Amino acid sequence: MNLNRRSLLTTALTLGAMKAFPGLSYAQARPLVFATFTGSWEEAHKAVLVPAFRKANADAQIVLDPMLSVDQIAKVNAAKANPPIDVMLHDPGPALLAIGQDLVEPYPVEKSAYYKDLIAEAQEPTGPAPFFQVVGLTYNPEAVKTPPTSWADLWKPEFKGRVGITNLNSTLGTGWLVEIAKMRGGSEANVDPGFKALEELKPNLAAVAANPGALATLFQQGQIDISPGNFNAIQILKARGVPVEFVAPKEGAIAFKTTIHIVKNSPNRELAFKLIEAALTPEVQTTLMNPPYLIVPTNSKVTMGGEIARVLAKDTAELKKKFVFQDWKKINEQRSAWIERFNREIKL
Amino acid sequence: MGAAPASRDVTSYGMGLAVPLALFFLVFFVAPLLQLLWLSLHNDTAGLHWGIGQYLHFLTDPFSLSVLGSTLLLGAEVTAVCLVLGFPIAWLYQRVGPRLQTVIILIVLLPLLTSVVVRTFAWIVILGRQGIINATLQSLGMIDTPLKLLYTQFGVVIALAQVQMPLMTLPLITALGRIDPNLDDASCSLGAGSWRTFWRIVLPLSLPGVIAGCTLTYAAAITAFITQSLIGGGQMLFMPMYLYQQASTLQNWPFASAISIIFLLAVLAVVSVFTTLGRLSRGYGGA
Repeated sequence: MNLNRRSLLTTALTLGAMKAFPGLSYAQARPLVFATFTGSWEEAHKAVLVPAFRKANADAQIVLDPMLSVDQIAKVNAAKANPPIDVMLHDPGPALLAIGQDLVEPYPVEKSAYYKDLIAEAQEPTGPAPFFQVVGLTYNPEAVKTPPTSWADLWKPEFKGRVGITNLNSTLGTGWLVEIAKMRGGSEANVDPGFKALEELKPNLAAVAANPGALATLFQQGQIDISPGNFNAIQILKARGVPVEFVAPKEGAIAFKTTIHIVKNSPNRELAFKLIEAALTPEVQTTLMNPPYLIVPTNSKVTMGGEIARVLAKDTAELKKKFVFQDWKKINEQRSAWIERFNREIKL
Repeated sequence: MGAAPASRDVTSYGMGLAVPLALFFLVFFVAPLLQLLWLSLHNDTAGLHWGIGQYLHFLTDPFSLSVLGSTLLLGAEVTAVCLVLGFPIAWLYQRVGPRLQTVIILIVLLPLLTSVVVRTFAWIVILGRQGIINATLQSLGMIDTPLKLLYTQFGVVIALAQVQMPLMTLPLITALGRIDPNLDDASCSLGAGSWRTFWRIVLPLSLPGVIAGCTLTYAAAITAFITQSLIGGGQMLFMPMYLYQQASTLQNWPFASAISIIFLLAVLAVVSVFTTLGRLSRGYGGA
């Protein structure tokens, strides 16, 4: 072999390129890639969903690649013809974005064994909702002696400088603003009353957090005593010993559909379908409903139990009564204008 | 040149050595930057219609301009705090024994050894309503109700100053170390007091370090997304968060690109002011 400088350099470059772009060497058969969310979602999916999927599908290879919804969209958008992700998980706002940009494959409903068992709100032909996220009132029971019952309680003078909210970057922040607007006669198309209400809330506001995660930590610091909050995030804090309680307000807890989608042009379409099927099974949903995960199920065959039955709903009928679903198609139309308005108006 | 091969001049240098890094920069920095510029010159989010609408939108919008202004101001405040607090440390370093020098350098470097996220969360604990500062002031009876420190401009400046301090102190230590200590003695023996020696001798000679430190601190402070958003909260908008909001939440990439190009140019302008000052000071220091 002729070991000159040029051949050495070529070899080195090739090796380097293979290291930098591993896709080069196995472009054909890559494992199923599931982009879940980071944090507790990833933990829950790794511990429950992935084993269930592998058991049902002869140990098929699967990789969890946790990232935010918006990042999933950006990644798939950057390589539409050969997407690096097979299954996406989305909040309602980003889900509509992904569908609007033609990034998702319709769900093969007729092939699905579990789709028809989902409660009506979870049946989405573009990708079903295997879980709900629920937003209600969160409070520190050590500082707030009488549990709040309504969104309107946030405006009580006794909470001067004790209320926390997030800005509209998050699904939580936007969904909450819409709910406040509705409470004061507005709707998904008209959040003016919501902004007026925010103006009145200012004396009570102790913090406008940049994201729901940052909001939750403020309870730990005693920076806030009451805020709109995500049921699952609060359960995690509670498990760590932080004094927080969750209560569904009488106007109804806001429920977000977390939808799961097959990515368009995915090379692993069949396995992607199987993974989603696994996520819809009563078995997986029951396990995920139990501690420590406490994820709200969408399959009507699941019997509600534990903390979810105590705080949220005992069965599907009650769930439908107590949950408020929002029209995110309408919300998305004006969301950027709202974010702009929030940027300008909410200065503490 | 005695022993060296006659044909080779050791003082010459081959540009070839810079080729790997240059290539790396070309592929992973210049190319994406051009792509960013290309994208910013489109009027619609799909990137089909050419135009400078995004720039017009930003530059004619008082709100966007105020975000840019407050970001640049934030950088100036953090840099000033770092300079005022960092200079004495660097000066002290040059005057203490080797054992204390090790201690000082360790203290200066320590922040660099922990992640920015961890340091920022520590500041949340310090500045919070029941944080260390408020708890201390309350137990001393100096305040009745906790002060609001977190989610204020003051909090962001203090936290950023601590997080970015090494970037200021290290160039200062180097610059001060290069000053011949005899100059101090000469100045004193010629009748100048300590302050006069400092203003006329030490400060001018350390200017290159001051400018290097300021440039680094400034650039790091205005782009510190994590600290700005965790300590500043969701209602205090600085350029990095504004950019993220447009790119990520709203998926408005052309506007986000325009924001980043404008931000880049603004930062370059500030940095070039610093380097011009640096060039002037070199003339001054050499005189």
